[in-house]
Parts: sequence; C-alpha cells; structure tokens
Amino acid sequence: MRKRLLCLAGVLFALGALTGCQKKEVNPGDIAGYDQGETYLSMWVHSIEETEEGQAYKASVESFNEKYNGTYFADIEFVPRNDSGGGYSDKVNASVMSGGLPDVLTVDGPNIAAYAANGIIQPLAEISQGEKDIYLPSIIEQGTYNGKLHALGVMESSVGLYYNKGILKEAGIKVPDADHPWTWTEFLEILEKLKPIMEEKNGYPLDMTFPVGEASIYYYAPFIWSNGGNLVSEDGLTVDGYFNSEKNVETMNYFQSIVKNKYMSEAKIENLFESGRAAFKFDGAWEVNTIYGNYPDIDLGVAPYVVSDDWDKGKYTPTGSWAFAASSETEDIEGATKLVQWMSGVESGIRIWEMSKTFPSTYEAFENIDVFQTDENYKALYDQLSNYGHPRPKTPVYPQVSTYFQEVLESVALGGKDAQSEMDKLVERMNAKLERYTRE
Amino acid sequence: MRKKNSIMGMAFFAPALILLTLFLFLPMLLTFGFSFTDYFALNPELTHFVGLKNYLDCFKDELFVKSFLNTVKFVIIIVPCQCGGAMLMAIAINHAAHCKKYFKVAFFVPVVMSLAVVSTLWMQIYSPEGILNTLLANFGIDAQPFIHSAKQALPSVAIMSVWQGMGYQMLILLGGLQNINPALYEAAEMDHATNWQKFKDITLPEMKPLCVLIFITVTIGAFRMLVQPMVMTGGGPDHSTYTIVYDIYQTGTVNWEMGLASTMAIIFTIFVVVLTIIQNILTKDKEDK
Repeated sequence: MRKRLLCLAGVLFALGALTGCQKKEVNPGDIAGYDQGETYLSMWVHSIEETEEGQAYKASVESFNEKYNGTYFADIEFVPRNDSGGGYSDKVNASVMSGGLPDVLTVDGPNIAAYAANGIIQPLAEISQGEKDIYLPSIIEQGTYNGKLHALGVMESSVGLYYNKGILKEAGIKVPDADHPWTWTEFLEILEKLKPIMEEKNGYPLDMTFPVGEASIYYYAPFIWSNGGNLVSEDGLTVDGYFNSEKNVETMNYFQSIVKNKYMSEAKIENLFESGRAAFKFDGAWEVNTIYGNYPDIDLGVAPYVVSDDWDKGKYTPTGSWAFAASSETEDIEGATKLVQWMSGVESGIRIWEMSKTFPSTYEAFENIDVFQTDENYKALYDQLSNYGHPRPKTPVYPQVSTYFQEVLESVALGGKDAQSEMDKLVERMNAKLERYTRE
Repeated sequence: MRKKNSIMGMAFFAPALILLTLFLFLPMLLTFGFSFTDYFALNPELTHFVGLKNYLDCFKDELFVKSFLNTVKFVIIIVPCQCGGAMLMAIAINHAAHCKKYFKVAFFVPVVMSLAVVSTLWMQIYSPEGILNTLLANFGIDAQPFIHSAKQALPSVAIMSVWQGMGYQMLILLGGLQNINPALYEAAEMDHATNWQKFKDITLPEMKPLCVLIFITVTIGAFRMLVQPMVMTGGGPDHSTYTIVYDIYQTGTVNWEMGLASTMAIIFTIFVVVLTIIQNILTKDKEDK
C-alpha cells in the first residue's frame, strides 16, 4: 500500500512539474477583489515587488481595479529580471513556446519590433488621436511597428551631456541653447582647450566609456542620427548600406579622434566627473539625482547633446524605456488596451517619478511635477526629450544591432581599426540573421 | 526478497531519476535535436530542420572560432597555475608549524565568495587607479591597462580566476597529503633522501589519483568560464575574453537563436568529452594499462 502511495506521489510530482508552465485558470473569488462579472486581465512586469518601481506598478494596478470595478480585474505578477537581461525574458520565451503568456506584459522599448514581428504582442485596440496626444512623441514612435501602435510606456528616459560649470567658467567656455548645440568640430575645439586645464587636475576633458551592453547604442547612436545616418532601413529589414554607410564611418572616425587626441581615458576611471576631474560626461538622467545627492560640490549643468556639422535640425537625442503591450494570447484586446493605457497614463507616470525618480511619459505628468519646472537641469533634459527625442532602431534584429554597434565603437575608437571594414563584416552577420524575416 | 529490495531501491531512486530526466537528460536530448534546426525563441512555430547548416555556420563564424581559441587560452593558463598553486599551498600549509587554520581559512575564503562579487572586486584592483597600478608605480613601472587592453585582458581575468578557485583544490590536496602514511617519509629519511626525492618518489605517486581528479575538474571548470569575463570585461576588449560559454549564452538568450546556441553547446560538449577521455588515458597508471 505504502509503495503504491509512493509511486502515486512520484507520478503526481512529475505531472505537477510538467503542468507548471501552463496558463493558470483563475475564477472569480479566487483572488481578493476579483468578482463575478469582471473580466480577468493578467499582467507580467519585469520587476521585483519590493523595489520602488514594483511598488509603483502595484499601486497603479490597484487604482485600475478601483476605477474599473465591476468591469475588469487586473492581476499583476512580478517576474525578476537579472542584470544581464535573463529571468524575465526567459519566462516570456518559455511561454511563447508552451503557451501561457499573460494579457499584458512589459517589453523593453527596443525589443518591441522583434516581439511584434514574431507575433508575441499584438496591436492595441483603436485609441483616439486625443488619447495618443497626451504622450511624448518618442513614446508613440517607440511603440509603433508597421504603422500600428503596439505598446505604451509609463517611463521615458534620456541621456544628458553633463558639464561642470566651474571648469567651463575657468576655461571661459559658454554653453549654447538647446536649439543651437555644439557641432562636432566646435566640440573638438572645446575639448582641446580644456585638455591642459584637465591635465593639471589629473583628469580628462571628457568622462566617456563604450561599455558592453545597451548603454553604448543608447548614449552614442545620436551621433549617427545627427549626422544624417541610420543603423537600419525604415522597415527594419535592411542593414547593408545603412549600418555601414559612409556617414556612419564618419561618425565612428569622430569617436576615434576623441580617443586618439586623449580627450578621454581609454580605460574607465571610476567617478572621474563626479570627483571634478572631467569637464563633461555622457550619462543617463539618473546622474542628476546622483550628483545632487552625493556630490554637492559639483556645480552641474546640462548642455545640449552635440550634433554633427551636417545636422539638419532633426530629432536625434536618446530615448526609450520599458513599455506595456498586449500579448497575442489575450482574448480581450479592448480590456488589455485599457490596462496598458492606465498603466502608462498620467497618474501612473507621476507615481513612477515620485517612487523611483524615473521620467514619466506624458506631457501632463511632466507639467505636474515641480522639479521639471523649477530645476534647470531637469528642465533641460525634459526639453531635450520632448523636442529632439529619437527612438532606437526598430528592427527584429535589434539585439544584434545593439551588440554590433558597441563592438564596432570599441574596435574603431579604442582599437584603432578601420571603421568601414569592421562595419562591413558585421553587416554580413546581421544579413544572415535577417534572412528569417525576409525569406518568402 | 530480492524483488522486494529492487522495488524499494527503485522507489528511492525514482525521485532523483525523474528530476534528472526532466532537468538534465530531456534538455540534453532537446539540445541535440534543436542543434539541427533554426529554432528561434521568439517564434518557435517557424522552426525548420536545417541539417548540418548550423554546424557548418559555427565553424565558418570567426567569432565562434575566436571564442573557442580564447577558451583554450584560458585553460592553458588556468590549469597549470591553479593545479600547481593549489599543490604548493597545500604543501606549505601541511608543513606550517603555526596558524594552519588561519591559512586554510584565508586561502579558502575566495571560494565561498560569489564569483560576481570577486569579479567586481578585481575590477577595482585592476582599474587604472587601482591598488595594483599604485603598487607598480612604487616600483617605477608605468600603469598597466590590464582588463582594458586586448592583450592583457585574458591573462588578467585568468589570474583572478586562479586566485578565486585555488583554495578549493588546495583543501582536497591537503586532505590527501595528510593521509599519506608517515612511515613512508620516515623510511625515506633513514635512506637520507632529499626533500625533492621525498616529494617526487613518495608525495607525487601517493597523490596521483587526487591530482588526476583535480586536473580534470579544473580543466572542465576552466572550459566553462563565463561569469568572470561577463562581469569584468563583457567579453572585450575586441572579444579578447569572449569565451565559448559566453557565446552560447549570448546567442541563445540575448539573440534568441536557440538552434544555433544548441549547436555550439553540442560542439563544446563533444570537445570537452574527447579531451577528458584523452586526459584519462594519458594520466592512467602504466600498471593499469
């Protein structure tokens, strides 16, 4: 008898393990707040519940459930994501294979195209122009694939060209306004002027690195765009002639000249800018908060992002963050769209700023947050974002574009290699990956 | 009775077997199967059978070949340094008259620390203004780029790895040294054997089975190098620290190309298995043959 029980337990355990991946069936009353007559909407977010970001999502879901009480019930699941990107995406990938995707999920901005092209997410239900207009243009552009809106983000982000006011004053350098940024040539002249001053301080004019990961394309692709270049074609399916264009070779050579002239350190030096040993630094918007909180001695300013000498006044500055999208498995696209709109709306945006100091995505949220009106640095970043924000390339092979951009930057700027041949080599690799999408 | 025993045995064995099947054997079989397909994680429905295309692509892929060679370089540096270093430390501790426990703990501490933590710590040590460059400056040596240079990054990461892993092997070898019958050394002393002769003719032969075990485990461990380059260099500069496991991870998880990543994993597994067999044959006792 005992043996039979043992065998039965073993079989049940194995079956349990196998069925663990399937979508769970939730009935009214199973979860507090989910009542009869309400449509159940499941949602995954790429965060841990205990973080400020997680708490902000949780509060937004609670307010959604209050607002749509009797119609919809949203149930949030927190899926941790590690630094190298695993965890959350592994769960999404597994569910693509075995089924069980939620109604709504978060997607990193640059991955929206790949998720849409592979049918993991579907276009949102019809949203009126008025409803779209509340968002910054960069959010709408980031979420649009093949002319259809697929995702809306609650967060937006930007990168600033920060400067140390004291050092620039010492060198007699004046910062231009946002509509007349320094051109590449002007910026090189400024760096040259700053070089002896910074050498005296045992530093460099520029605190800049080309790190592995998403940061490099996020920070430095604006140099490509302001020079009239692109990394991929409009439809995201061609790289040859774009990634390796003459314009982009020029851009890479510009970075090489910065390194060659020793305007920056080849190896990363910790806190170079923060310790007052660099005049400029490219970094995310979070840097403002870091400087204010931890380095009060630094008199911080935000200069407009540098542009190529051939800049046509087009959009070019960094943007992009995680967004909410409706999965292809949702049976209630109207409900899922409502949830996406709520999670990315004004109230949620103000909350995400208050709780995690991440930029919101709607005009109204920015207008309702004092610091974007009163603090010149935050205001400069907001103006840059709303007037010149440019999304990262929209292509199903984005992971490769991002990785290869960093690789070519590193090998050309730091390794001194020939930009054209390096880029041609990588284009060949990307073409092989694009075959999946271009074959009949 | 025998039947009863075998059923009981199976009952105890079953949970392990089920778990191993689910999480080891089945994934291994799937990996082998996927290696002949273009399985793309974001769209499994479009999977096609592509025969040996992935295998051919791998060998044609410069990056895969480079990551393979980098891994071999890591192994060539790590295996002798880690095995030799562990042996030296074990002998030193075995002969130490004082503070044996202190040294044992001190040498073992890096092993229990998370690899990510140790890697971050060594990034500071190797930084342009880090402790190592400060020490070198005291001897009038110019600051070295270490992990920031394509030439120095691989040995720098390898040395850090050796430092981190050596303590574990040291402990195993120390156990082995303490188990050698002291009578052997006493007999050697009566024959006026030198220290080197004692080491060569008593210690080494007695320790051989342990040394072989350590040699093989360190080799396999070095082939699986991933966390250190991932944290310290991201595989760079110029892919100089990009290892094969890193390539598999990047291809499968980041680029979603599970088919190609499976092929890389199969090639890697075959290589390590063949190498282990060769190692086993080479290190077999003559009498065993």
